Amino acid sequence: MALPPHAAAATAEETDPAAAPYTPYALAKTLAGHKAAISAVKFSPDGNLLASSSADKTLRAYSTASLATLHDFHGHSQGVSDLAFSGDTRLLASASDDKTLRLWDVPTGTLLKTLHGHTNYAFCVNFNPHSNLLVSGSFDETVRVWDVKSGKCLKVLPAHSDPVTAVDFNHGGTMIVSSSYDGLCRIWDASTGHCMKTLIDDENPPVSFVKFSPNGKFILVGTLDNTLRLWNISTGKFIKTYTGHDNSKFCISASFSVTNGKYVVSGSEDKCVYLWELQTRKIVQKLEGHTDAVISVACHPTENMIASGALGDDKCVKIWTQEKD
Amino acid sequence: MEAPIIDPLQGDFPEVIEEYLEHGIMKCIAFNRRGTLLAAGCTDGSCIIWDFETRGVAKELRDKECTAAITSVCWSKYGHRILVSASDKSLILWDVLSGEKIAHTTLQHTVLQACLHPGSSTPSICLACPFSSAPMIVDLNTGSTTALPVLTADVSNGATPLSRNKTSDTSVTYSPCNACFNKHGDLVYAGTSKGEILIIDHKNVRVCAIVLVSGGAVIKNVVFSRNGQYMLTNSNDRLIRIYKNLLPPKDGLKMLDELNESFNESDDVEKLKAIGSKCLELLHEFQDSITRVQWKAPCFSGDGEWVIGGAASRGEHKIYIWDRAGHLVKILEGPKEALMDLAWHPVHPIIISVSLTGLVYIWAKDYTENWSAFAPDFKELEENEEYVEREDEFDLVPETEKVKGLDVHEDDEVDVLTVERDSIFSDSDMSQEELCFLPAVPCLDIPEQQDKCVGSCSKLPDGNHSGSPLSVEAGQNGNASNHNSSPLEPMENSTADDTDGVRLKRKRKPSEKGLELQAEKVKKPVKPLKSSGRLSKTNKPVIDPDSSNGVYGDDGSD
Repeated sequence: MALPPHAAAATAEETDPAAAPYTPYALAKTLAGHKAAISAVKFSPDGNLLASSSADKTLRAYSTASLATLHDFHGHSQGVSDLAFSGDTRLLASASDDKTLRLWDVPTGTLLKTLHGHTNYAFCVNFNPHSNLLVSGSFDETVRVWDVKSGKCLKVLPAHSDPVTAVDFNHGGTMIVSSSYDGLCRIWDASTGHCMKTLIDDENPPVSFVKFSPNGKFILVGTLDNTLRLWNISTGKFIKTYTGHDNSKFCISASFSVTNGKYVVSGSEDKCVYLWELQTRKIVQKLEGHTDAVISVACHPTENMIASGALGDDKCVKIWTQEKD
Repeated sequence: MEAPIIDPLQGDFPEVIEEYLEHGIMKCIAFNRRGTLLAAGCTDGSCIIWDFETRGVAKELRDKECTAAITSVCWSKYGHRILVSASDKSLILWDVLSGEKIAHTTLQHTVLQACLHPGSSTPSICLACPFSSAPMIVDLNTGSTTALPVLTADVSNGATPLSRNKTSDTSVTYSPCNACFNKHGDLVYAGTSKGEILIIDHKNVRVCAIVLVSGGAVIKNVVFSRNGQYMLTNSNDRLIRIYKNLLPPKDGLKMLDELNESFNESDDVEKLKAIGSKCLELLHEFQDSITRVQWKAPCFSGDGEWVIGGAASRGEHKIYIWDRAGHLVKILEGPKEALMDLAWHPVHPIIISVSLTGLVYIWAKDYTENWSAFAPDFKELEENEEYVEREDEFDLVPETEKVKGLDVHEDDEVDVLTVERDSIFSDSDMSQEELCFLPAVPCLDIPEQQDKCVGSCSKLPDGNHSGSPLSVEAGQNGNASNHNSSPLEPMENSTADDTDGVRLKRKRKPSEKGLELQAEKVKKPVKPLKSSGRLSKTNKPVIDPDSSNGVYGDDGSD
C-alpha cells in the first residue's frame, strides 16, 4: 500500500523575481491506510491534527507532529464525502452518502451523534467559528443548518436546483456561502436563513467548490471548466482567475496558503497539486507524486505544510513541507 | 457588519412573534452585550442561559440552596459573570463558563432589581434596589452595603457622610425606588418617590445633582440606552419620559465637579437642582392618552433609536414602540397573557417579551423574500416603468455588443486577510476577552431512538406542535391566527425529547422543494463525482469512469 517516497517536486514554471525567493514544497511523508479513494483532508484549527475522510466509510485522524494515525472513526454505512473540525478541535463532523452527518469525539474516537434529515447524499459540511452550528449541503439540493448541541435541524435553505457541492461559514459566522452544479454561488444570512446574494457569471459552469477568504470579503470558487476564481462579494464580480490545472470531473477543493506569502493551492485531475501566487496568478509550483487525481488539499494554519489526498488508484494522504535552509 | 451586502437592520423594528422559548417558568431576562446569549431567571431559582443563535439551552445555573424565585438578572460587561437577585433576599453572583457560584449575599430586604457595575469585567460591587428601602451599593466580596441618599432630607445635610444602615433609623417608608448605573459606572441615577432624579456619586456617597421630573409622580424605572446617551424614566403618572444625557461618557464626575464650582447658590438643594438642569435634557414624553395605561419594563433598542414599553394590564400582552422623535410607530399584540419583562436585542431588530405564563416570546421582522437576491439579473420595481428602447436596439448588429470587453483588472492587489473591526461595538476594550458563546457539547444520542429515526427519516413529520401559542399578526385586532405550518421539517430528527422544547413556528414555509423530494423519494441517476468506488450497488447505476462530462443531468432545467 505504501508508495515509495518521491523526490523533490517539479520546480516552478515561472518564478516571480520581484518577490522573495520562493522556497519550494517537497514531499515529507505519505500516509497510507485508507482502503479506498480519499475524499477530503483538513487540518484542525490549532494545527495539531490532520483528518481525512474516504470512500471506505471511515475517517482518520493523524497527529501533525508525528504523522502517526491517532484514530479510526467507524460508523458510516456508506462512503464519506467531507469532514470538518470544530473550533476547539474536540469535535469532527462528517457527511456521507448514507444521508447522515455524524459528530465524533476527537480525543476518544467515538461517535457522539448522528444527524438525520437530508434525503440524499450529504456532500459537504462545515462548522461555524463558534462551533455551535453546523452547515451541510446535499444532493437533495438543500443546505441545512444544525444545532450541534441537540442535533436538531434549525433551518432548511432551498438553496439550489442541483446538488450542493460546498458550504462554508465566514470568519464571523454571520454568512453562509453555498455552491452547486447549477452554476450559482449563493450567500445566506446565517442567523435568519435569508438569501443575501447570488453570484453568477455570464456562463455558468457547474461550481464544484467554494470557500470564504480569511477576512470574509472574497470567495474562492472552483468551477468544472478548469478554473478557479476569486470573487469580491460586495461587487459581485470576480477579480482573479487561476488556471493551468485540470478540473472538469470532480469536486476538487482549494485553499489559501498564508503562512509564508499568499498563495492559492488546489488539487488537480492530472495528479498534481498546484500553487499559484495570489496576486500575480502565476503558477509557482506543481507538486507531483500522487498516482491519481488529487481531490483535496489543506494548508496548515501556522506552519508551511500542505496536505493532499487523492482518489482510488492512490488512496494516500501526502504531506508536503517547505525545505528549511 | 462584515460585508456591506447584509442590510443594516438597525433602525427597524419587529412585527410578529417568530418563536417562543419554553423551559420552566421564566420571569426576567437579560441579553449579554452582543446578544448572543440570553439569561432568564426562573421561579424555581435557576437561571437559564439560552444560546440565541441556536435558540437552545446552553447552560443552567442551578444550586440546591437557591430555590426562591428570581427577581432580576444582570450580566457583567464582557459576559463572564451573572448577578441574580432572588425573592429570599439574596444576591448570587455566578461564573458563567464554569457554572459555579462565586458569591452569595443575603440582604435585609428582597431586591427587585440588581445591576452589576458596568465598568469592569469582574465587578465586585453592584447596585441593588430593594423592595422597601433606598437603593444601595453592595460589595459582593464582603457583603457590606452602603445605602444611597435618596431623600431630600439626606441631601440637604450637605457634606456629612451618611452612616450605614441609615434606613433603619428613618421612619419613612419608601415606595420602590429605582436606580441604575450610567454607562461608565461612576454615577448612579436614582428615581425617587417624589419624582426627582438624583445623580449620585456612589463612591463618595454624595448626591451631585437633582433633576425634577414634572408632575412629581413616583418614578418606577430609570433606564439608560446602550450607548449611555439617552435615559428614560417611567413614572406613576403613566408617562415615559426620554432624556438626553448631557454629561460626557467617561468624565461625568469631573464635569459635575466643574459645574459645582461654577454655581454659587447658597442653598445646597437649589445648587444641586441647578447642576441637574445641565445634566439631563427632557426630549419627549410618551403616554397612551386613551387607555391611560401604566407602563412596565420600558427600554431602548440596541441603537437607541426606538423605545419600547409594555402595557401593564393584566389580560393582555401589548408592546408599544415609539421612535425617539416621539411618534408611536407600532403596537405589538401577543396572546392574552400579562407581560412581565421586555428586552430589545443589542444588535438585531428583535424584541423578547416574557409573559406571565413563563414563556419567552421572540418578536422579529416579518420577512418578505427578496427575490432579486436569488437572481441578480432581476431588479425589483416599486411601480411600472415605461420602457425606453436604446438607439441601436433594432440594429442588426448593435453597437454595444461590438464593444464588449471584460473590464476586469486582474492585476489589482487583493487583500484577503485583514478583518474589519466591528463598528457597532466600538467601545469594546480589545484587551478583554469577551465571552460570547458557551461551548456546545453535543448531547449523546440514545441508541434506541437512533433506530427509530433511521426508519422514519423520509416521512413527513406529524403536526404535533399544534397546541402551542401561536404567531400573531401585529395588528389591532389581536386575533391569534393559527400558523400551524405543516412543513416542520426541522423537527423530524429529534433524537432526544428534551424538556427545553424549542417550538419552531416558521411563518415562511421552508424548502418546498425539499418536501417534494421527501415525498417522492427521489432516486436520481446520481454521479457523486468525488470518488468512484463507493456507490452502493443496489440502487444506483454504476458510474462510467470514462465519461468526461461530469455535469449533472438536469443542469439549467429550472
